[in-house]
Amino acid sequence: MTAILETDDLVKEFGGLTATDHVNLTIEQGKLLSLIGPNGAGKSTLINLITRMLEETEGDIRFEGESITDLKPHEVVQRGIGKSFQTASIFPELSVEDNATIASFGAEHGDFRFNFLTHRDSYPEVEQRALDTLEAVGLRDQKDVRAADLPYGDKRRLEIGIALASEPSLLLMDEPTAGMSPEETKATVDLIEELQEEMDLTILLVEHDMEIVFSVSDRIAVLNRGSVIAEGTPDEVQGDPAVQEAYLGGVEL
Amino acid sequence: MSDEVGSAEATESGDVERSPSLYDRWLAVREREATIAVLTFVGVFLAPFILVVLPELLGIPRQYSWYRNLVILALIWGIFAIGFDLLLGFTGLLSFGHAMFWGTAAYTAGIFSANVTGSPIAMILVGTTAAVLLAWVIGWISLRRGGIYFAILTLAFGQMIYYIALSPLGNLTGGENGFTGVEVGPLLGLLPLGAEIAFVPDALVETWMYVLVGLMTVLAVVVGNRVLNSPYGIVLRAVRENEQRAEFVGLNVWRYKLMAFIISGAFAGVAGSLYVIQRSFVPIENTLNWTVSGEIVIMTVLGGVGSLFGPLLGAGLYMYVANIVSGMPTIGDFWHMILGLVFIAVVVLAPNGIWGRVEWLRERVGETLGGDDR
Repeated sequence: MTAILETDDLVKEFGGLTATDHVNLTIEQGKLLSLIGPNGAGKSTLINLITRMLEETEGDIRFEGESITDLKPHEVVQRGIGKSFQTASIFPELSVEDNATIASFGAEHGDFRFNFLTHRDSYPEVEQRALDTLEAVGLRDQKDVRAADLPYGDKRRLEIGIALASEPSLLLMDEPTAGMSPEETKATVDLIEELQEEMDLTILLVEHDMEIVFSVSDRIAVLNRGSVIAEGTPDEVQGDPAVQEAYLGGVEL
Repeated sequence: MSDEVGSAEATESGDVERSPSLYDRWLAVREREATIAVLTFVGVFLAPFILVVLPELLGIPRQYSWYRNLVILALIWGIFAIGFDLLLGFTGLLSFGHAMFWGTAAYTAGIFSANVTGSPIAMILVGTTAAVLLAWVIGWISLRRGGIYFAILTLAFGQMIYYIALSPLGNLTGGENGFTGVEVGPLLGLLPLGAEIAFVPDALVETWMYVLVGLMTVLAVVVGNRVLNSPYGIVLRAVRENEQRAEFVGLNVWRYKLMAFIISGAFAGVAGSLYVIQRSFVPIENTLNWTVSGEIVIMTVLGGVGSLFGPLLGAGLYMYVANIVSGMPTIGDFWHMILGLVFIAVVVLAPNGIWGRVEWLRERVGETLGGDDR
């Protein structure tokens, strides 16, 4: 198995607070790694470091063998790291199809082009990719609906669709089921599993719902106060005394 | 500028009366580029007749109706406003310094005409190039910040350029007197702009000046429409809606914003150059002064932010209030207050501007006449 993403003694300090403390994580190609930990453990900071929203204090992040610490967020996306946000981060006033089209432009045309006098219709491949994306997340029938008018669960599906349009090799999912009803949660979990199989996607999942985490993960990393206190298969993590102590509070799972 | 609407709706209802299916077909063609070009052309062509000649025939006193030069001015400001709306309405960036692009183009075109050649086309090219280069530099610096900071930065740069033109460069620019040496030559070397056109009735288009400004207006609308229907149209809207998400689909948001700023500066440059050609003089208070930056915001908002034709209507309404209402007996002295009331009325009653109301009406008409699928 080859590592797709590695963090190398990654440190992030905010003033005196160490939010990420010498983190060494490896995500292997095609696997789903879940990142869990109590509130304030540094999960979001770690995600923001990988997407380059935050500048690290020390250490290195390598994606497919190359350091990405000098890249800007959109360049990281162009390299193949997609992100699905914690809230439904969509383009609310635009139609569902336009939402997907924007993502397709990002994927097909790179980060910038001078094509401001070319009609949009002259890019059938962009349109096709947008429709394929909507098909994949099951929103093709709603393509003419204004995105803001979708039910919350569908907004989140659209969100995931936007993240997938660029066909990332690694998808970062920040609490994809937050705020969802049990049915929507189940549908989303099914979608994640389906995507992972069909697209050979590597996923880094941040999730609070332990039931989901233990059912979908290949490996789990447990963060506490910025450092990784345990990492392994769901069984290994579940049996780890340090985890039970620090995070699960000794509760039997 | 209400003629644009007038002609659009006339065609529409003409189709509708025959059969509902024609209405559907009308909807399909409406968005096409050629249709937009032709409608704008017809609107611009008929504007002097509808706004100037017709009121005269109807016996409306001269002081209440438009005059030909005002129609030209409204079109020039309309070009400026179309470009401004690409930035404000479609990209969501409020610039408070667009006077600097309009003004720099005006001075450059004016000084160029005095020293090199007075060819109107060359003046437009040189003025616009200057505006584009300036927009590139100013955008590169100002776009590092968003929201109110961007507005303040552009305002500050605008003021900087105003004072540079006023004093340190006073010898070149004429300082507070404005630049008086403008020498506008004939169009294409043989058509004096002020001359009447022999083979077109006076009731329609009178001078070559109007032809030049009218054609530039059509060009501005067509280019604006093209930009909005290019990938930029959708990417800029995406930036307006959710900048972070746009960045996270892999788009270089900053460069797209810079391009929007430069394109918008180019429109301001074309308009500023035309303004000098029309006035044969560069008045500093109407070019680089910050009030111009404010006026263009008001025109755009009046007409309808985020629409293609709205800003043209907004510019027309503003020009009417500022030049005609201000000359009316009794109320004339209060024209600023009237403009304020008009602004409040539009913002309250038509949040999407005049054009928003026009669209709304058009949809109503469509529904009643059988276009249920809207």
